[in-house]
Amino acid sequence: MEAEYTLRRTKSAKKELIRKDFHAHWFAYLLILPVLAWYLVFCYAPMWGVMISFQDFKPLLGFFRSPWVGWKHFSEFITGPYFWRLIKNTLLLNIWGLVFGFPAPIILAVVLNEIRHKWLKRSLQTITYMPHFISLVVLCGMIYIFTQPNGVLTQMVGFFTGHTDQSLLGVSSYFRPIYTFSGVWQNIGWDSIIYLAAIGNIDSELYESASLDGANKLQSIWHVTLPGMLPTIIILLIFAMGGLLNSSFEKIILLYNPLTYDRADVIASYVYRRGIREGSYSFSTAVGLLSSVVNFGFLWATNVFARKYSEISLW
Amino acid sequence: MKAKRFLSAALCALMVGSMMAGCGGGGDAGGTPSAASQTASEAKKSFEDLSKDIDGNTNPTADQIKKVQDSLNDTYLKDAYDVEIPDNYDAYPMKDSPEIKVWMPIDAYLSSIIKSLNDFKVYQEAQKLTGIKVNFVSPPVGKENDEFNVMIASGSLPDVIVDADKYQGGLNAGLTDGAYQDLTDLIDKYAPNYAAFRKSDENRQKTTVTDAGKVVGVYGLSPYPEWMWFGMLIKKEALDKTGLPVPETVDEWHTFLLKCKEAGYKEPLNYGSNYGQIFTGIINGAYGVWDWTFLDKDGKVAWGPAQPGAKDYLTTMAQWQKEGLLNKDWTTADFNQRMAEAVSSDCAVMMDSPDTMWGFWKTDKMNVDFVGAPNPVLKKGDKSATTYKNWENTGRPAAVTTQCKNVEAALRWLDFGFTKKGWELFNWGTYGDLHLVDDKGQPYFQESSLMYNDPEHQPLANLIWKYRVHSGPNIRDEHHSNPLLTQKGSYSGKIREEWTEEMDTSPAMPPVSLTPEETSREASIGTQLSTLRNEYFAKIIMGQLPVSKYDEFLQKANSMGLTEWLGIWQTALDRYNKR
Repeated sequence: MEAEYTLRRTKSAKKELIRKDFHAHWFAYLLILPVLAWYLVFCYAPMWGVMISFQDFKPLLGFFRSPWVGWKHFSEFITGPYFWRLIKNTLLLNIWGLVFGFPAPIILAVVLNEIRHKWLKRSLQTITYMPHFISLVVLCGMIYIFTQPNGVLTQMVGFFTGHTDQSLLGVSSYFRPIYTFSGVWQNIGWDSIIYLAAIGNIDSELYESASLDGANKLQSIWHVTLPGMLPTIIILLIFAMGGLLNSSFEKIILLYNPLTYDRADVIASYVYRRGIREGSYSFSTAVGLLSSVVNFGFLWATNVFARKYSEISLW
Repeated sequence: MKAKRFLSAALCALMVGSMMAGCGGGGDAGGTPSAASQTASEAKKSFEDLSKDIDGNTNPTADQIKKVQDSLNDTYLKDAYDVEIPDNYDAYPMKDSPEIKVWMPIDAYLSSIIKSLNDFKVYQEAQKLTGIKVNFVSPPVGKENDEFNVMIASGSLPDVIVDADKYQGGLNAGLTDGAYQDLTDLIDKYAPNYAAFRKSDENRQKTTVTDAGKVVGVYGLSPYPEWMWFGMLIKKEALDKTGLPVPETVDEWHTFLLKCKEAGYKEPLNYGSNYGQIFTGIINGAYGVWDWTFLDKDGKVAWGPAQPGAKDYLTTMAQWQKEGLLNKDWTTADFNQRMAEAVSSDCAVMMDSPDTMWGFWKTDKMNVDFVGAPNPVLKKGDKSATTYKNWENTGRPAAVTTQCKNVEAALRWLDFGFTKKGWELFNWGTYGDLHLVDDKGQPYFQESSLMYNDPEHQPLANLIWKYRVHSGPNIRDEHHSNPLLTQKGSYSGKIREEWTEEMDTSPAMPPVSLTPEETSREASIGTQLSTLRNEYFAKIIMGQLPVSKYDEFLQKANSMGLTEWLGIWQTALDRYNKR
């Protein structure tokens, strides 16, 4: 160990180290080669295609003969009357998802971990992650039926509000809860898997010493389990922050209607409707580029925070 | 141990193999039609007159059938329309059996029974008669637009592209960008039938050229304006139960619907769902608040939602909504939802197509008769109006690409659809097993036809694609060759005919074309206006906003650039009128 630390100090020593590593683990490198190639070919190489957001792209003319229009598409998007509403809706929908959908799988993982009965634990796990496999379209079909006039959910809500004969999807203030909680229901089990794995990695000696020190169940969760999951939680949180301006437009399109546009219309669904009138590659690329840049900003900021206040960060 | 290893290896192989299942099975299926017809020796100009044998013959012999099917002889077909269907067969069958490649989207149902259009019997027969070998390439169903753009971007184009108007910016853009050929002079030489037929009527003439007067596409055309296909449909039993006649004015409709509610129909009117679709042009038209753009009484482009009658319209609909006359989920219902409501006992009136409703109300399990009602008007005696007009152009334009090596063969193939023989074959399928010819020289589906006796018992809605060309770049004779309209006992055709004859179509906008710059600007403002209108109107009718909010709507629409947007359409309309 000591010898290796001194070796690291010299550049050529570094090279030597790499060569040794390669020689010892060549199989691992070979395995990762296709993955690297996939990223290079499908993610990095096509990146230069974003230049079509500065053109009026036409497929026949291609990348190099399509006319250049500078910031036209960006300014069309930003100066549109619905711009701020779209940003607000996209952000809020994702923040709701974060506030409710991020802690939920953590709590589930912690609770599942405390269950001693093996069969109960396994079956609960399976039941909670089965909804993940339901296709989005089927899920939205279910939501539609439950929120119909006199549907199951409508009646439950009607208990409090007194109306049972309206479709819940027609009330814009219900849109965010419906969208968020159906998502939580669908993904809580699947997302908890990674947290369960993280919990599994916690040294059981820590639990023993905690109980020796007189900690009860809740205290050992707070002081042992959660800190043990912290690296995973922080990394996943950083990823989530990098998706704040994204929208899964399929679910929005399936659930929204003109009555709920003011809460449900997000960037992606608006661009979709725009795209139906004029199959504009350039416009949607410009919007996508804008969202990606802003998202990256969020990601960066979160990473800076994480690095400052904990030892865990992406870079 | 060994078994376990073998099992894991087999599972791996299975997983990898299943990934491959997605590949392959591209567009070019085998499907070789039989060798080109050897009847080249037959003199084209003088056909043996078969009319005495074929016209009115309900039981043709095998020899007679052969004579009709295997030759270009069309002497038994007579003209029934104001315009003659051309019959220039000089070029067929073409010498040297030329080959062309045609890109043509395939209907979803058709693709489920045949692998590709190369196996489509009607086109196989046409290839035999014209002597042209066609290799059809179709995109996967549902991916037509994507595949079209990929094909254009790849730069390697087939000889003919059907649905050439998918090109961004329209056919004119395809021409200026160098994808499509200018056919203006070529059609007189190589497609004389199309050239003659398109000129034979003003609408056909105007809708088949670009604003500059160039012919770029071979469009599907109709010999007459096709009937209107959607409107108010009332269940007969509702009229009987309420004892009221078919309503004409908006007030009569109100009374009628209230009475329906008393008679037990909980949600009598199924209001066209997802605000903004064309069905809602039915009631709002009475107030002049047409769904979208229309021509006002001076022939200028106007926007329906901005018309002065809008507040009255919204007040009326909001009241109907409150009284429970509309189905409660009209903002969210999709097609299946609406049909489910239609067959339930809560619905008395549908705003839809009689052909569609026939398939739901008149089945083996249900027998609900219905009548069509004209669009409501405000004052008794006013004429119903509609923004739907048929321009005798059925779309599906076919363009010849700049990479076509044999332009003559491509055009002659397309031209066949505009000859008498092509009209007969494409609309009614093959003679004998699918259709016969009546004593007036008009083809028709006989009772014993395959169309009504499909060996696989498919519903008629599917068979219109299986045995004939329902839509394509050829003459389409919808009224007489659509079995949904012609089958015995069907009155959906009658309803459509009445609607077309009773209603005033002067507000209808013709199919104008926009330049690429105009398209971009139109899309930008149009999406905003559409979002605005959908939101405000839906909320006002549902009662979530008061009708007074309409002023705010109008103000916002104007600030979005309504005038500029209308100006774009007006310029396009002026160009169209000058064609």
